[in-house]
Amino acid sequence: MTEITLHLNGTQAAHTVEPRQTLADFLRDRCGLTATHLGCEHGACGACTVVLDGQAARSCLQLAVMCDGRSIQTLEGLRADPVMEVLRRHFHESHALQCGFCTPGMLIMGRDILQRYREPDAQTIRHELSGQICRCTGYAGIVDAIVAAGREIGTATR
Amino acid sequence: MKAAPFEYLRPASVAEASAALGRNGMTTAAIAGGQSLLPMLNLRVAFIDLLVDISRLDELRAVTETPSGLQIGALTTHAAIEDGKVPDLFGGLLRRVAGQISYRAVRNHGTIGGSVALADPAADWPGCLMALGASVRIAGPSGARSELVSDFVQGSYSTSLAAGEIILGFELPRPGASLRWGFAKVVRKSGAFASSIAFVVTPGRSAPVSVVLAAAAARAQACPETAQHLQRGTATDEALRQAIARDLAVHVPDADAYQQRLHTATILRAIRDWRAQ
Amino acid sequence: MAGHAASDSWIGARLLRKEDARHLYGHGAFIADIRMPGLQDIAFVRSQRAHARVRQIVKPPDAAGRVFTLADIGPLNILEAGPELAAHRHGPYPALSDGRVRYVGQTIAACMAPTRAEAEDLADRVSVELEELPAVVDCVAAMRPGSPRVFDSWPDNAFITSTVNEGNPASLAAAPIRLRRQLRMNRQATVSLECRGSLAYWDHRLNELVIYLSTQGGHVKRLGLSKALGLPENQIRVIAPDVGGGFGGKNRLMPEDIAVAAIAMKVGHPVRWIEDRREHLLASVHARDHAYDLIISADRDGTLLGVEGDVHIDAGAYSLWPTGSFMEASMASRNLTGPYRIKHLKLNTFTVATNKAPMGPYRGVARPGACFAIERLVDEVARELGREPFDLRRQNIVTAAELPYSTAAGMRLDTGDYVASLDMAHDMVGLPAIRKRQIAGEPNGRAIGIGFAFYTEQSGHGQVEWVKRKSRVVPGYESASGRMLPDGSVIFHVGTQNHGQGHETTLAQIAAHELTIDPARISIRYGDTATTPFGFGTFASRSIVFAGGAVAKSSRGLIAKIRRIGAHLLQADVANTRVEGGAVHGPSGKISFAEIAYAANVRQEHLPAGMDPLLDVTATYEPTETGGVFSYGTHAVVVAVEPDTGVVEILDYVVAEDCGTMINPMIVDGQVQGGIAQGIGTALYEEIPYDEAGQPLATSFADYMVPCAPEIPKVRIGHLVTPALATEYGVKGLGEGGAIAPPAVIANAVADAFRSIGASFNETPLTPRRVSEAVDRARRAKGAAA
Ligand SMILES: Cc1cc2nc3c(=O)[nH]c(=O)nc-3n(C[C@H](O)[C@H](O)[C@H](O)COP(=O)(O)OP(=O)(O)OC[C@H]3O[C@@H](n4cnc5c(N)ncnc54)[C@H](O)[C@@H]3O)c2cc1C
Ligand code: FES
Ligand code: FES
Repeated sequence: MTEITLHLNGTQAAHTVEPRQTLADFLRDRCGLTATHLGCEHGACGACTVVLDGQAARSCLQLAVMCDGRSIQTLEGLRADPVMEVLRRHFHESHALQCGFCTPGMLIMGRDILQRYREPDAQTIRHELSGQICRCTGYAGIVDAIVAAGREIGTATR
Repeated sequence: MKAAPFEYLRPASVAEASAALGRNGMTTAAIAGGQSLLPMLNLRVAFIDLLVDISRLDELRAVTETPSGLQIGALTTHAAIEDGKVPDLFGGLLRRVAGQISYRAVRNHGTIGGSVALADPAADWPGCLMALGASVRIAGPSGARSELVSDFVQGSYSTSLAAGEIILGFELPRPGASLRWGFAKVVRKSGAFASSIAFVVTPGRSAPVSVVLAAAAARAQACPETAQHLQRGTATDEALRQAIARDLAVHVPDADAYQQRLHTATILRAIRDWRAQ
Repeated sequence: MAGHAASDSWIGARLLRKEDARHLYGHGAFIADIRMPGLQDIAFVRSQRAHARVRQIVKPPDAAGRVFTLADIGPLNILEAGPELAAHRHGPYPALSDGRVRYVGQTIAACMAPTRAEAEDLADRVSVELEELPAVVDCVAAMRPGSPRVFDSWPDNAFITSTVNEGNPASLAAAPIRLRRQLRMNRQATVSLECRGSLAYWDHRLNELVIYLSTQGGHVKRLGLSKALGLPENQIRVIAPDVGGGFGGKNRLMPEDIAVAAIAMKVGHPVRWIEDRREHLLASVHARDHAYDLIISADRDGTLLGVEGDVHIDAGAYSLWPTGSFMEASMASRNLTGPYRIKHLKLNTFTVATNKAPMGPYRGVARPGACFAIERLVDEVARELGREPFDLRRQNIVTAAELPYSTAAGMRLDTGDYVASLDMAHDMVGLPAIRKRQIAGEPNGRAIGIGFAFYTEQSGHGQVEWVKRKSRVVPGYESASGRMLPDGSVIFHVGTQNHGQGHETTLAQIAAHELTIDPARISIRYGDTATTPFGFGTFASRSIVFAGGAVAKSSRGLIAKIRRIGAHLLQADVANTRVEGGAVHGPSGKISFAEIAYAANVRQEHLPAGMDPLLDVTATYEPTETGGVFSYGTHAVVVAVEPDTGVVEILDYVVAEDCGTMINPMIVDGQVQGGIAQGIGTALYEEIPYDEAGQPLATSFADYMVPCAPEIPKVRIGHLVTPALATEYGVKGLGEGGAIAPPAVIANAVADAFRSIGASFNETPLTPRRVSEAVDRARRAKGAAA
């Protein structure tokens, strides 16, 4: 067991963790933050994507011990995030989710894309979304939603 | 799908890390980005007793441009290279290669050092670094050493790394002004490990052409016959195909007819890319 | 005054989904999200061999009470699965191995620990001694006399064989065109993004077993669990929380479900098993795996005459309860005429046991294979005749005037205009422009191909159809229980199981339409056997037809009573009232549902004399014609193919489809686009190959390719709307259609790209290797001929 301190969704706290525990299991099982889903546990589906020190990360491929002193945001911690608010609305309006299992990871990745690209086009978004599996929607609604969110944010900040 | 238990250590220096990694009677592994190691641990295809976290060692982080070229720290992530945070002495080759590795969330954490240390035959960096004539800097119990990446990578998941050794970084020789490169990669789907990768690089006007094929054999391989033909500058497509065939016969002897077509096509595409520059 | 002015606006409205908000905030509650005091995790010890006798299972000495073998969780009953036909052989499938294992991944023992990681540690310490037996891995070879047997006592490896003989197949021998082709649609997984899972505990207060299950239908699972555990159904409660996709893969009773339930009954605290991705690829429902060896006959003028040959279905080692996999063979053969006027049919089908994971349903069930086979054959005939494949389809397809039409295979195609669908797709994709582009050639050496494929999708089939299939359960109806609460808001409990299809929205739209109130005032509830009326769940494109119909019927029952109460309160004759805008209107005024519901629930003194209180109507529904209503559509695709690498890129994908009346067009488009994405997976990417020893070769996403956003185009969708005659509002189901045609249309397009050299693409997925090898074979054959 190892002591760590995490900045999690804006709150700093100390925890003891078993070295083998992944960040995903830590978030879900220890912190009750179940927006972060597990779809493969080997880095290939994106359902577990969170923000680690400002960058998108697969939480199934991070050890909680290694996150000591770092800052983590999960979907729960982005409730009031302005970009996330816009994305959520467009996901809803573009029918970007069906079963909803991929949705938290898609939203985190969508936000990451919008932070790196200004008004990205569909092709850019598709490339950036590779590795995020959605088994239900066929991606069209997700891509549309991120395009629309990008435009809205772009227009607002022009 | 959870890893078997292991101990964890976060040494404060390379020397400490090296000592920990060299511990007798233990299976140890360094962890950098964890983007290759953790899937293997989660899937329980790899088992270790001690995990040595090298991800915060500043000595492995530095990126420096020198008169003789570029030094890239082992911990440099694919994303940092993709985003141009590493000086681009190679006409965008590094960025192009980095941007096509896996997925962004993996690129944010996966490192160039981890990629070369693992020596997955289908990985992107070993072949790229070979084509650029890069060498690897290594620290270990018996001091520091340096070796060409083409010598360092020995086979499938096999390198010259000895117990307790750590990759510090890479040295990429500065190319001449008229550097030209071509890159082609065939994947089953976006971001998946490649089924064929080819690099064609001329580091400068009078410098020799280098052609490297990866994801074909146990390790990335130079294709000297093809390179010679390009060097002469007169090669017809047919002559090139024959040269490629000779290279494949030597370096990928087990390739079946499809793999021969595939690798030939990849190399030819990289050559087209190279010629277009 | 008219009796009931149902508001039209909710049927066909693009209403945004009610289920979105919880997922967008990360509040979805999937099975792995459930936490309970004392909960322990289960990990299974699974067979590493395809076929073996289990000689010995050695439990670690320190693990007393934490490692369970079959003897430890029994006695359990084995359920007979598959159709109720004497000719269907039974191979008992125990929850944990009974001394034999028949596929890699079969459950041998269950290990319990406080965390999954520790349970896996324990599983690694259980040693299993296996005595390897010869494995059966190819379903065609499995039927040869010398093949080893999956079940020792069977005379051969067939679960069942059957024949179809329609028209006069003997006449086909004289047909001028006879083409024989072998086609194969390989094995794949269903890959819901959320894997399976179950969590069970004994509720000591209620003296019942509670099972949370990621399932497509809780009631039928309860029935199966009750039989397997020998526990009365009133002591079993099955709850489906949010279900992260199913696609067929969560619609069978699986050994892990039974084992987890049995362990929960032994240990007295909650236990759960959360399937991981490797287990999913190894041992969840596998699908497709059809092999066709067919001859198509045609006249010189292009008239298609008949289809003859063999259909092998690789069903894996066991039959999954309830239906097994015979439906694959029967549905494949019944769809092999496609929508064409093919008169003669002679098929032998073999549903074969092999040492692979058991096969189950997957979106489209059997029809992707059948569609692939017939649509490829149509293209091959066209090529043989030098005709445009599109024209040959148009020539042979059943016209609107001929509908309803009974195909030689026994499908009664109901309503629509198939020719109009073909033409719409033709115009959308722009066939002439692509033909011009092909002549011009591509600068980068790629070959451009265009393909068409037509599919029909039987949906809403009820009693007649399922009885014909000899189904053990006959999902011939659905139920809905509508309840208006004192404030006039409404809750419906239904027996179907939403897992992404948007039932909370579409069923509320139907109820809103009938009840003339806003859908926001209506809740749709499902997924709990304790609260919902019996129903069969969500599969076979049935929910909108059946549950939609049941909700409509229940709503109408509510309205009838509301109207009577309203008339009474308005002191009017019922005949002089009408219902509109959530109120009963009479000659002298109106009264709101809220007032009526208040009276009905808590102020009975205001009810008409003798009327029972409550507004609570449970209705069941079955369409008036139970052979099914058929959605249909034409897919057309343009591809670019690199012949040497074999890489296929989709340049354009269009669909012209007809699913009858659309309740919510946004959700229809979502189902089409999503189904096509899965179909593209089948066509180009997804496969679980096995080696000769029966080892599966794709057990993680490193080897199993699930297409992502760059691989899936945005599909352009055109709609025709021909309402069904046999259903409420004229709806037809459409959940599966998207997944049916992609393998056919993509293979046709790739073949079109190389039609000048006559390359054949008859095996899915069309991996780069398969594509390039087919081109190479054709080039060599052509070279040899020249
Ligand atoms: C889904 C997925 C797809 C991927 N696709 C690709 C791809 O297409 N192409 C590609 O090239 N890569 C791919 N990768 C791998 C990715 O690039 C990894 O980031 C990289 O291979 C390893 O880097 P890492 O820092 O994560 O290494 P780690 O996982 O931390 O370590 C990998 C190995 O290297 C050793 N190691 C790490 N750093 C050092 C060091 N400095 N000195 C000595 N030993 C060290 C470790 O002990 C371990 O054995 C993929 C990964 C995933 C999860
Ligand atoms: S669960 Fe982490 S990428 Fe799939
Ligand atoms: S909505 Fe189901 S996986 Fe994306």
